[in-house]
Amino acid sequence: MIATLKAFGDRVLGRGDAAITVPIFDGALKPNQLLAGAETVGQFEDANDIATDGKTLLVVDGGRILSMGDGGSTEIARFDRSVTALCALPRGGIAIALAGEEVRIVGGPEDGRRWVDAGGAPFHAANAICCASDGGLAVTDGSRRYEWAHWTHDLMDRGWSGRVVFLDPRTGAARVGVAGLEYAFGACASGADTLVSESWRHRLLAIGPGDQRRVVLDRLPVYPSRIVAAAGGGFWLTAFAARTQLVEFVLRENAFRRRMMKEIAPEHWIAPRLRSGESFLEPMQGAHLRTMGVLKPWAPPRSYGLVIRLSPQGTPLYSLHSRVDGVNHGIVAAAEFAGFLYLLAKGPGRLLRLALAGIEQELAA
Amino acid sequence: MREAVLRLRYRFWPDHLLGEILSKRWTETAIPVIVLLIVAVAFTRAIPGFLSPASLADTARQAAEIGFVVLGMALVIVVGGIDLSVGSIFALTDFCALFCLDVLELPVPAVVVITIAFGALLGAVNGFLIGYLRLRAFITTLITLIIYRSAYDLLLFDYSNTIAAAFPDTPLWNFMGGGDILGVPSVAVLYGIVAIFGHVFMTRLRPGWHITAIGGSRRSAYNSGIPVRATIARCYAASGALTAVGALFFAARLGTVGGDVGVGLEVTVLTAAVLGGISLGGGRGSVARALVGTLIVLLITNGLTTLSVRGGVNRMVLAGILLVAATIDIRWLKNRNRIIAKVYVSPTFHEMPRLQPVGVGSNVPFVQNDRLSGVSLIGLGRIEAPEDVILDRHDNLYAGSRHGDIIRFFPPDYEKMEVYAHIGGQPLGMAFDRSDNLYVCIGGMGLYRITPDRKVEKATDETNRSLRSVNDDSRLRLADDLDIADDGRIFFSEATVRYEMHEWPVDGLEARGNGRIVCYDPRNGTTRTVLRGLKFPNGICVERGSQSILFAETWGCCVKRYWFDGPKTGQVEMVMENLPGFPDNINLASDGNYWLAMVGMRSPALDLAWRMPGFRRRMAKRVPIDEWLFPNINTGCVLRFNSKGEVLETYWDLAGVNHPMITSMREHKGYLYLGGIQNNRIGRLKLDGADPGFVQYDRRWGKGT
Repeated sequence: MIATLKAFGDRVLGRGDAAITVPIFDGALKPNQLLAGAETVGQFEDANDIATDGKTLLVVDGGRILSMGDGGSTEIARFDRSVTALCALPRGGIAIALAGEEVRIVGGPEDGRRWVDAGGAPFHAANAICCASDGGLAVTDGSRRYEWAHWTHDLMDRGWSGRVVFLDPRTGAARVGVAGLEYAFGACASGADTLVSESWRHRLLAIGPGDQRRVVLDRLPVYPSRIVAAAGGGFWLTAFAARTQLVEFVLRENAFRRRMMKEIAPEHWIAPRLRSGESFLEPMQGAHLRTMGVLKPWAPPRSYGLVIRLSPQGTPLYSLHSRVDGVNHGIVAAAEFAGFLYLLAKGPGRLLRLALAGIEQELAA
Repeated sequence: MREAVLRLRYRFWPDHLLGEILSKRWTETAIPVIVLLIVAVAFTRAIPGFLSPASLADTARQAAEIGFVVLGMALVIVVGGIDLSVGSIFALTDFCALFCLDVLELPVPAVVVITIAFGALLGAVNGFLIGYLRLRAFITTLITLIIYRSAYDLLLFDYSNTIAAAFPDTPLWNFMGGGDILGVPSVAVLYGIVAIFGHVFMTRLRPGWHITAIGGSRRSAYNSGIPVRATIARCYAASGALTAVGALFFAARLGTVGGDVGVGLEVTVLTAAVLGGISLGGGRGSVARALVGTLIVLLITNGLTTLSVRGGVNRMVLAGILLVAATIDIRWLKNRNRIIAKVYVSPTFHEMPRLQPVGVGSNVPFVQNDRLSGVSLIGLGRIEAPEDVILDRHDNLYAGSRHGDIIRFFPPDYEKMEVYAHIGGQPLGMAFDRSDNLYVCIGGMGLYRITPDRKVEKATDETNRSLRSVNDDSRLRLADDLDIADDGRIFFSEATVRYEMHEWPVDGLEARGNGRIVCYDPRNGTTRTVLRGLKFPNGICVERGSQSILFAETWGCCVKRYWFDGPKTGQVEMVMENLPGFPDNINLASDGNYWLAMVGMRSPALDLAWRMPGFRRRMAKRVPIDEWLFPNINTGCVLRFNSKGEVLETYWDLAGVNHPMITSMREHKGYLYLGGIQNNRIGRLKLDGADPGFVQYDRRWGKGT
């Protein structure tokens, strides 16, 4: 009773859970334009993920898996459905997710092994795969209600059906580690733990061997996505969109949200996107007003480009940005390869590259 | 169904009035008045005959006596001080009056003059100490309270018997004590006269304004040249004099001196002043509030006395009320602006028909193209915020800038520019009249005129106040476009009467018809509002035949026609509705049709939000304005339409880089000139097939060069 009254009071006064405050980009997240100036090494129609096996860089473009070489790309596999996640296995071969509904191993000793469900429920939006230290695989399944491409629907519906599934390639066993996550998107092994991004709660979880959860990073101003280990220790955490107060507000306005989802095309919702500024039908916010021909980089981001470098303990060290006035938005995947940091900006469909040595230099300057 | 209820609720329930009423100064008086009514009703029900004529006359007598003291106290509080010594002054002047009358046996007029002078002198001591020596008002008057009271006690010891024994019997003195004029006690009549004068003094005369200014901010008052010290000193002297007047009538009524005269009077008076709404912080107060406060306090004390409540309790109640009133005073003063800001914005239900698609490939007249990408730029980086552009018959190009200038560019290449005239406010719409005067709407200032010899003159900055509006809407806040009829009458639009120019997004959030069209007649200098309740009207253009104007309603996404002459005078008809964007200025095209600038485009999310007022109200409160959902005015277009409202062609800039925003356009000799209020450039586009000799001035006024 008291809790109900308190919740009601909060809603009226905009306090507590009804507060729409968003942390600012500060400290290690202080904005820069490093990502905006990154070199574009590839342009893809429908790129979804990148990975490296140490010898080559692999890029998923729709149903194709490409190997990036010096002179261009070569196709190494092709599927009739979109590949939604990719992971190079240490013993050879790759693990992929197909249309979010099937996880399959291609090549290597366990070639052809496949999973379509786990814990009695089918995969619905498998969006990231990582190799665990014990030789198993961890898969994040974003939502059980909306398919992989409809993540905006899941956010706007305040989805909480994401889960982490552990697979054993040798035995074919599948086990649900944790469920009920508010969109799981991205996993990475960290010792015996598995780091998992819980996007709609803006946090990074560590899942222990006994499936116990620990919050590593909380209250991020962004929606975190895939994570990869950095060669120098620590991790690269990508963020595919940034939070805005307007979206936080809309998330608390149930009547408006329901009508918006029913009456308006998804690309024109008040919701984070991977790219923006393409149509005047998109909602415009106050600071988006182009004044004297200039769009302010600090305007509330409908789409944003960000990758955060984490320490081995999960503390943010620094970050690379492409701000509102840039286009390298919607960073969904990262990979370190041959002295470069490769990033996949899904917004413009670009594969970006930054020299690792250069990053540290730029930030030190 | 729900939407229908919502529509009715916002149609008939005037949400916007709450904020407007609260932002009025008189609400601060209205609340004590309501308290007074409640107190009066409560005691009337509890005590039979509480408000009978006899009781009322008695109350009025006491009220007026105390009322004089409250007036003095109010004056001192408004100037930023406090006078605790009023009780002692009251006692001393009471003694003075009776001493002069009974012991010295002076005539009554002399007694009156001496007593008032004595009261003023006692107050002047306070005034000198506080005003000139700058002692703290509280401690100073506390000390004089003690000194004056001691003096009174000493004098009382010597003369009380003499005074008590005397029975002066002069008609004037008796009239003062118990007489009345037409049933109204003499003292109340005098109080009324003084109160009316006091009201005029405080609100209409220079010294009254000085007093309020000093109370509001002593330093600012000093800096603006007000004689702060002298004014403060005079206020205390006036307080003493007014207290003396009260004491005179008290002496005439009771004719006694006693130990308890004026004891605790300062608390009563202070309570009355604060309860009436005279802010202890200074700078805010009025005679009406002093009167209301006096009546409340008197009704309460009399009522409680009639109910046989003991004196101590009576005092305690009064002190309690003072505490509550002082608390409310402080809290209200601190939060007033925040509260008003929260309730002032009141979005309403605004429904528009479904948005029609305009994307490339859709088969509508609005279909997008890239014809504006070839616009050449004039004054890039040298002009800021040219909302409107206009050319005279010598091909000079004029545009406003946000620095408050009218900039003139010279032909043929429009590279050279100069400040044609400096006005000081943001120039918006412009038009030339028959004799080459340039009329300009200035945001926040009104309608101005620049004569051919570059003299800036105010045409008008106010119109008739509408009777049904709570806000004073006589002053022009956001005049934005104009055109001139054949007879010289100028019709101009005012986008909103509720907000200032930089607050236009708030008006868009409200989406209420806050705008109007006003007519200024230069022949006799009158200004009259001709149309009200328009949703951000704009783009006035006199039609051919000159009996009607076209105007755009930006938030209404429509173009309408208004007849100002002829058989249809006063009628309004729709010309174009459900536009996909926000229409702005309208101007003549060389082929007899009209150009329309679309400053921005509708978005489905905003269309939905406009149908959900509660959502927008909460957004206004919780989300900072930089993050509000705005009307999209980053993309726009220019279109040509005929008088039937049919779109003939459109010009778009898909990339929106070259010329991002279009608020106005003007055709001149085969070119189209484009203005934009957020731009740092003017656009120039060669028109295919347009009359290369077209000059708007000549077409409009029938002259050749």
